[in-house]
Amino acid sequence: MTAVFTRGTLDGSREAAGADGQLLPPRADCIADSAGGLTFDVTDPGEGGAAHLLLRLRDSDPAVEVRLPLTPAGDGRLRAALPSSVELPEGRWNAYAQVESGEPRRLMPGVNDLRSLVDRAPSGSRGHVAVRIPYATKQGNLSVRSWLRAPHAETGELVIEAAGLAGHGRVYGTGLTDAAYVEAGLRGEPGRVVRAPVTAGSAGASEFRFDLGYGALAEGVGVWNLWLWPAGEEGPRVRLARLLDDVADKKPIFTYPVKRVPARGGGTVEVGPYYTVDNDLSIRVA
Amino acid sequence: MHISFLIHNAYGIGGTIRTTYNLANTLAEHHDVDVVSVLRHRDEPVFTPDARVRLSHLVDIRKDSPGYEGDTEAYRTPAKVFPSAEGRYGQYSALTDERIAAHLTSLQSDVVIGTRPGLNVHIARQARRGVLRVGQEHLTLDSHSKALRLQLRSVYPRLDVLTTTTEADAAAYRKKMRLPGVHVQAVPNPVPAPGIEPADGSHKWVVAAGRLAPVKRYDLLIRAFDKVRRERPDWRLRIYGGGKQKDKLRKLIDDLGLYNHVFLMGPAHPIEPEWAKGSIAAVTSSLESFGMTIVEAMRCGLPVVATDCPHGPGEIIDNGVDGRLVEVGNADAIAGGLLELINDDALRQRMAGAALQDSERFDPAHIAERYEDMFDGMLQRGGSLGGRVRGSMHRARGALLGGAYAVRDAGRTVPTKGRLA
Repeated sequence: MTAVFTRGTLDGSREAAGADGQLLPPRADCIADSAGGLTFDVTDPGEGGAAHLLLRLRDSDPAVEVRLPLTPAGDGRLRAALPSSVELPEGRWNAYAQVESGEPRRLMPGVNDLRSLVDRAPSGSRGHVAVRIPYATKQGNLSVRSWLRAPHAETGELVIEAAGLAGHGRVYGTGLTDAAYVEAGLRGEPGRVVRAPVTAGSAGASEFRFDLGYGALAEGVGVWNLWLWPAGEEGPRVRLARLLDDVADKKPIFTYPVKRVPARGGGTVEVGPYYTVDNDLSIRVA
Repeated sequence: MHISFLIHNAYGIGGTIRTTYNLANTLAEHHDVDVVSVLRHRDEPVFTPDARVRLSHLVDIRKDSPGYEGDTEAYRTPAKVFPSAEGRYGQYSALTDERIAAHLTSLQSDVVIGTRPGLNVHIARQARRGVLRVGQEHLTLDSHSKALRLQLRSVYPRLDVLTTTTEADAAAYRKKMRLPGVHVQAVPNPVPAPGIEPADGSHKWVVAAGRLAPVKRYDLLIRAFDKVRRERPDWRLRIYGGGKQKDKLRKLIDDLGLYNHVFLMGPAHPIEPEWAKGSIAAVTSSLESFGMTIVEAMRCGLPVVATDCPHGPGEIIDNGVDGRLVEVGNADAIAGGLLELINDDALRQRMAGAALQDSERFDPAHIAERYEDMFDGMLQRGGSLGGRVRGSMHRARGALLGGAYAVRDAGRTVPTKGRLA
């Protein structure tokens, strides 16, 4: 029996080709900077002509796209930059490489160096928070998750107490007044809300903490979304979310214990906070 | 030199697969290298070997492939050559017996390298005469069952070379197995430079990575971190990896109220950028056959706090210089080691620099050189003794002598029938 050879040759001439001779999908390494900018280094798609990195907002119709020129990086690869100044509306952006007006080819993820996103603490001076986190999709392709919020309420430590949640956070793009409060709104039932007072934290007008008792929430089975009203009823309503790090999908990683609390009609329900698929903070009552 | 690797499945994910490619890729810079995979279960390998490395398979078990052989009688018939006490025995069959034998008796290479005990047995018994027979042990002798040790003991003497990943394990093989004349040598696993900037030590994160398995003792690490948190609540811990212990560890984190400090991150590929987010690495295993993650973390510029468990950590870490060895199974000792580095920025930075420097010795270029030197030495030694490889001498098949020289001199010419075993 002679072994069946399937890949590679001695002269390396098929480096960019798969077993069947087709071009391998281009691969991109991403480096994030602390300001929110991204640099993409893409393996040369192997076709001549002007190349672009194309970001296409998922489920957008007509397609919302951002095109970034790919220029030689000097190491045989092509580089594109997405500076923090380029606005990228919130959503999931699929990444492609496109040569001239040819068919865009989906990019595969390489090395994502996101260390500068860890424990990000932007100054807030810009009035908004822009977050872009490259990640590998379930299918193994490269996408970029983007958030753009003004103002923004970033959650930090959440402490689960006997019958409630003590939350900590920081607000960006607006200040806190004495009238500030946190509101939990039951999803699907507008107007059904529970309020909790907010106290300013050590950093004065931007850090806050709140205590939200589970008792009132236990009366509504379902999902309660949490909002900050930094200036009370008169001001904006800001969704509580955790965005300022390198983790694209918080839900499976930032998890918290659930507490069993008495329900209205007798019996008990389980109550606990979780991050939604958009990394917003909610409380589930089940 | 023509070097041929024999591996269980080159298309999957795993330490042995990655290690084999790292070595094969580097050897391919100067040698003719192929990797032969007994099984093939997917179209493309997860790790892409260098284009100079030829990859092939012996048995196709892709259900949608025209070459699918998983439904043949021979594939359902139990293996006879592959040792029954080997962990992968269930995946071997009369078909693999036959294909591996055919492959080994028609080898064109100067050297053949087996990458697990069962394949080493095939090589010891079946490799064509004149080919240097090398068995690699990626796990340790004491991790093999008594039954497997017995099966190996009767066959391993017919190898020319047996490599282990640690000196401790090499000593165990020399002492506990009767391997007269077999060259037993420790060669650590190669770990390439990470391809990203090393960590700068500014992030207050401890990082661990590995399967969430009992042997890794992440329960101990989490308990240790409870103590760290009391003294240094500004530091946190990330554990990368998946596995059966996940729910248990999750519960422990919640029970200790560590959910703001300890995070189960799930598996990460590649892992290097995750190391670079930390400033200290932690390894709390009760057993490490080598300690790959220790080297990986060091190559990313992290000092490692590791339990001084058998076999690897003590051979990798220079205690107090490029990392810290602590007592096995002791949460207080682990916490102490972590806090020592957390509380002393200068010490941590110094150890980080040393870790980067000291881990260079595991670069594939150095490891490949050790293999090359060993192969050269073995081939020459064999020659000076009058037979190209010791195995040939040992079995007193004098007729081989001339043939063996002919093989070396002729390089890769097709062997004549007479030289086939």
